[in-house]
Amino acid sequence: MRQRRHRKGEPRLRVVGRSEILPPPIQAQARQDLDVDIDFELIDGIEGLQRAVTRPDSFDVYHQWHTIDLIWTARAVQAIDLDRITHGAEIKAMASVGSGRALATVFDKLFLQKDGKLGHTPSNRISMLPSIHGVDAFGYLRSIREPQDQQSESWGWLLDSRWHGRSAITAHPVLGIIEAALAVEAAEGVVFEDIGNLSIEEIDHVADLLIRKKKIGHFRGTWINYEDAARLMQRGGVVVQSMLWPALTRLKGQGLPVCIATPREGSRGWHADLCISAAADGDVLEAAYAYLNWWHGGWPSACLARQGYYATFPDRVRRHLAPEEWAYWYEGRPAEKPLCDPFGQVCIAPGETREGGAHMERMSTVRVWNTFMDEHTYLVRRWKEFLDA
Amino acid sequence: MERPSLATNRPYYEVIRDLLAANIDGGRLPVGTRLITAAVADRLGVSRPPVKRALARLEREGRLRYSRKSGYVVGAARDGVEPVRLNLHALDLDLSGPLSPPSPQATWERIFQTVESDILNCMPFGTYQISEAGLGDHFSVSRTVIRDVLSRMQDRALISKDRSSHWIAGPLSARMLDDAHAVSRLLEPSALSAAIPHLDAAQLSQMRERVRQALDNRTAVSQTTIDFLETDLHTGCLEPVRNRRLADAARLSQLSLVVNRLFGTYIGVHDETEMLMEHRLVLDHVILGDGAGTETALRYHLDADHQRARARLKVLSVFSAPEIAPYLIRVH
Repeated sequence: MRQRRHRKGEPRLRVVGRSEILPPPIQAQARQDLDVDIDFELIDGIEGLQRAVTRPDSFDVYHQWHTIDLIWTARAVQAIDLDRITHGAEIKAMASVGSGRALATVFDKLFLQKDGKLGHTPSNRISMLPSIHGVDAFGYLRSIREPQDQQSESWGWLLDSRWHGRSAITAHPVLGIIEAALAVEAAEGVVFEDIGNLSIEEIDHVADLLIRKKKIGHFRGTWINYEDAARLMQRGGVVVQSMLWPALTRLKGQGLPVCIATPREGSRGWHADLCISAAADGDVLEAAYAYLNWWHGGWPSACLARQGYYATFPDRVRRHLAPEEWAYWYEGRPAEKPLCDPFGQVCIAPGETREGGAHMERMSTVRVWNTFMDEHTYLVRRWKEFLDA
Repeated sequence: MERPSLATNRPYYEVIRDLLAANIDGGRLPVGTRLITAAVADRLGVSRPPVKRALARLEREGRLRYSRKSGYVVGAARDGVEPVRLNLHALDLDLSGPLSPPSPQATWERIFQTVESDILNCMPFGTYQISEAGLGDHFSVSRTVIRDVLSRMQDRALISKDRSSHWIAGPLSARMLDDAHAVSRLLEPSALSAAIPHLDAAQLSQMRERVRQALDNRTAVSQTTIDFLETDLHTGCLEPVRNRRLADAARLSQLSLVVNRLFGTYIGVHDETEMLMEHRLVLDHVILGDGAGTETALRYHLDADHQRARARLKVLSVFSAPEIAPYLIRVH
């Protein structure tokens, strides 16, 4: 049973999410804008999901990513009433239009259906409030690509023996297996049937290769969060690795000539959304809705645009961005002025153009979305073998 | 976990020794009877090694004598009775006690179900190594028995050996669930339909009543109740099936029940209305004696249950530390 430790009029909201989604500027602004005390808890690994599933009474809002089917099956979150979301109608409207279809994975399991299952057909109750999305690929130091090198960027670079001992990969099994599978496809010329849902044999294929590569010293390291990723490249001698956008903006801010690839094999798409704990009620539930509405208002997604993230409802974000920011991050046009990251540090120099182009152009490169594969248990076992090798 | 209550915790040869000693002392094994290991083992329905050891022990005690020519013979040398080979099956031996019933269940069978359920209960959570020595200690049985158990589990594709020859259980993959389901939906409906003529009407209406009560009470159904209802339909109803091979094969493919039970235990029982309605539908057909309807309804239920189990298996995969038996070691 949920412990009611909130006194009326003084709700304390407990929010759990990943560090790159809840950087300090967002935490500070939320506390300032909302009449609620908020405890933010940053959990980057799989532990966040474990918490959400096993102890819904230990959080009020969870910034989920690609786990809605799991947490819904576990009844860890409650349905969100669209009538209580200030601009709730536009969520229903978007489900059936162009950009909604491009983000099908966001809307596929969004609406609560009459039979209690999640589906695509709009209804007034949703499993999660869509907030942000993006597309990830590997990053590399510009210096490893010679000027005469006409070859387009490929995931195969992660396994390329030219970068022996100077390559790194994320330690997260969900993200890592997808990137590794893309790399194996490219490096070995094989094709996996569904790269977002690998079979046991395909998982073995990828894991065996990774373990072999790791044992001969191909990988400099693995990383848990974007800060570790940035450090690996800054001081660890890594020249090519899995990369999240906040790591890129940080490294660029430090003057490192680094970029994110637009691999010819396509990229890894992701989205992150807000969920309300099944245990939240009363004043806390009110506070949770206030927090969700604050996110939907656009300020936080605008803040995250400065580290390369897209809002699922971009129109709400635009008014919080300077024209030159919108032009660079969303439209893929050259920066007219120096642009700052979410922390206020300059990370983009005038004249730079974002890799991969404009919002929908970049999203159209998504080959596979983050997902918990059917054989997740098996995958985790093999992935741990790789990490321990 | 409680130690399994085996017939005895003493070594098996001692049990055999006691039995033979009692029959010698009571005169049922006459003085002069030659006791050939293979014949004794056959008469008692046990294996030879414990018999051999028991005979050696009885010789040391003076109840038997040994000669190169005749082997073991009942009675001391001074009895002076000529060794005689009798048909042991013709003798009225008292085999009551720990060995009875006369054809004793092999030791492996006594612990198999416990080991099977221990292993199934951990598999959805990850990979476990099975310690042969730990298993032997836990159940106080020999390595031979342990290997019997494990090789049978291997035959059923529940465990396998890794490259370093350790026994490994799990992880329970979605494919194992799919494969088990494919077998299940072929076998269980026909098994249940075959059982219909032998099922007791009163018992059936009790089962039906239990489902009705659970449906009335849908928000407050406990995992214990769910277990009870699952056992009613998926075990109880299959008991009268004459074809044991069919019934056993159907039982062995009920992996989704394991997943659903663990989910209910670790995550909690949510609204099980659909499952209950499916059970009610199957039982209604059984009560009417409608074999074809029973098969269709059960197949529908198994398919739906499979989908639920698949989704729940993913949730279980994020857990790390369920309660596990002491002879299992988590690997990943």
